[in-house]
Amino acid sequence: MSDAAGAPPPLVATDGVSKAYAGAPAPALAPLSIAVAPGEIVALAGPSGSGKTTLLNLLAGIIQPDAGQVAIAGRPLSQLRSGRELSELVGLIHQQYDLVPHLPVIHNVLAGRLGQWGLLRSVASLVWPQERQTALAVLAQMGIADKINERTSHLSGGEQQRVAIARLMVQSPRLILADEPVASLDPARADEMLSLLTALASASGKTLIVSLHSPHLIRQYCTRVIGLNRGRLEFDVPTSAATADLLDRLYDLEQLPPEVIV
Amino acid sequence: MRFLQSSRLLTVLLAAAGAWSLTAIDWNGPWLHTGGAASFLRFLLALFPPDLSADFLLIALTASGQTLAYAVAGMTVAILIGVPLGIIASGVAFTPGSRLRRPSVAATRFLLGGMRAVHELVWAVLFVAAIGLSPLAAIFALGLPYAGILGRIYADLLQDVPPEPIAALRTTGASPLRLFSYGYWPMALPDLIGYTFYRLECAIRAAAIMSFVGIPGLGYQIQLSLHDLLFDQVWTLLLFLVAIIVAVDLWSSRIRRSLLS
Ligand SMILES: Nc1ncnc2c1ncn2[C@@H]1O[C@H](COP(=O)(O)OP(=O)(O)O)[C@@H](O)[C@H]1O
Ligand SMILES: [Mg+2]
Repeated sequence: MSDAAGAPPPLVATDGVSKAYAGAPAPALAPLSIAVAPGEIVALAGPSGSGKTTLLNLLAGIIQPDAGQVAIAGRPLSQLRSGRELSELVGLIHQQYDLVPHLPVIHNVLAGRLGQWGLLRSVASLVWPQERQTALAVLAQMGIADKINERTSHLSGGEQQRVAIARLMVQSPRLILADEPVASLDPARADEMLSLLTALASASGKTLIVSLHSPHLIRQYCTRVIGLNRGRLEFDVPTSAATADLLDRLYDLEQLPPEVIV
Repeated sequence: MRFLQSSRLLTVLLAAAGAWSLTAIDWNGPWLHTGGAASFLRFLLALFPPDLSADFLLIALTASGQTLAYAVAGMTVAILIGVPLGIIASGVAFTPGSRLRRPSVAATRFLLGGMRAVHELVWAVLFVAAIGLSPLAAIFALGLPYAGILGRIYADLLQDVPPEPIAALRTTGASPLRLFSYGYWPMALPDLIGYTFYRLECAIRAAAIMSFVGIPGLGYQIQLSLHDLLFDQVWTLLLFLVAIIVAVDLWSSRIRRSLLS
């Protein structure tokens, strides 16, 4: 897929991927082809139900496309043989629900290693945490090293988000996907979260695709913005070209059937 | 459970059976046999006071200890069998596409169903016939049906764990057994323990009844006292039974609270 001009091959490439859920009147994602270069920080914008989560889940290999394929670092996801290979390529962070609330923080962080560790080591770690220093280091970077032994459900929403990012750092995939990571945060926390996430990505040369609604945050933190509406690509431009008008129009287009919520 | 969900037929059948059972009652006959009311009253009045003599309290205490010991031993057997079977029957520890999954789940669900379809008293009769009157017969008679119940509920609780954290764990490349130990098990554990304690209460009641096949304990003492029409002693023994159940209840809510905080 790299062209003759010698541009770097894309880290992520979708080739006409589409997805329709059983029983849904319209496809969640119409055939879509995009390519994202290594190191890009891409915002995914669009009203509720426009297909952002569907696209991110397809990129993460959590759901399979009806047609087309997704390739990461040149490797089609459908041809990966193990969860381990997938986990080295792509990691996903959700708005919520992604931690095991009953476990101490350290085990949620070290869960990022489950693709690498053998079964015995994984289970033993629940009793004698392995690589405690690794967990401590990333938690310190997130500013919550003191919470390492705390039960995860006791942490605030913002702290849990940091634990989820810490797990992603431990997993260290080449592509980081974030599905509305700031949807439930107040503006100050949202800002903090995005600066953590984007700083982490650029420091380690990772590629980031994040679904976001706020034009202000998109322009401040991302290099490129992809607009989706009703499963179709509306625009795909550098953030410098993303005028407020362009983004507003995306949300004004919103004329969703009444049953579509969230 | 799942194969019952769709069946409206089952609801109709059960309702019909319920209605039919009403015809079995002789609505015109007397509700109590002659003298029944009088003995019932005598039994009630014996509560004031129950037999609280030191000698009898010691008997009641020993019997309580025996009943509790049988219940705990039976539950231990039930947990040892119920946990592995419940995990297999939940199907969550299999690779999603595994060909072993369906037959293993079906076979363990069937096995668990068979164990709990037979009441503990019937198991007791079978075991006594096979190995004679022995503590072991009572423990297994209690342990097998309870394993069937625990395994079934454990399987359901494991399946009902919230799917989002599991999906997130899966993206870290975790295999099914790792998913199980980091996701399913810790998330289901408080409920697994809570349900097990609830079943321990039931096992205490069942162990008391088990005395009727000859093992010592509260039921055996109740039988002796009833035989001699010593209702004040029966009340003492019943009060001990209530006390154990309440104590287990307090203990379990304390443990659950410490697990949840
Ligand atoms: N599991 C599902 N089953 C059926 N329809 C779904 C499912 N998930 C999403 N959809 C539908 O697909 C469309 C896109 O949803 P989604 O990708 O979640 O959008 P977004 O994340 O942008 O809000 C919506 O119309 C939604 O109702
Ligand atoms: Mg979404």
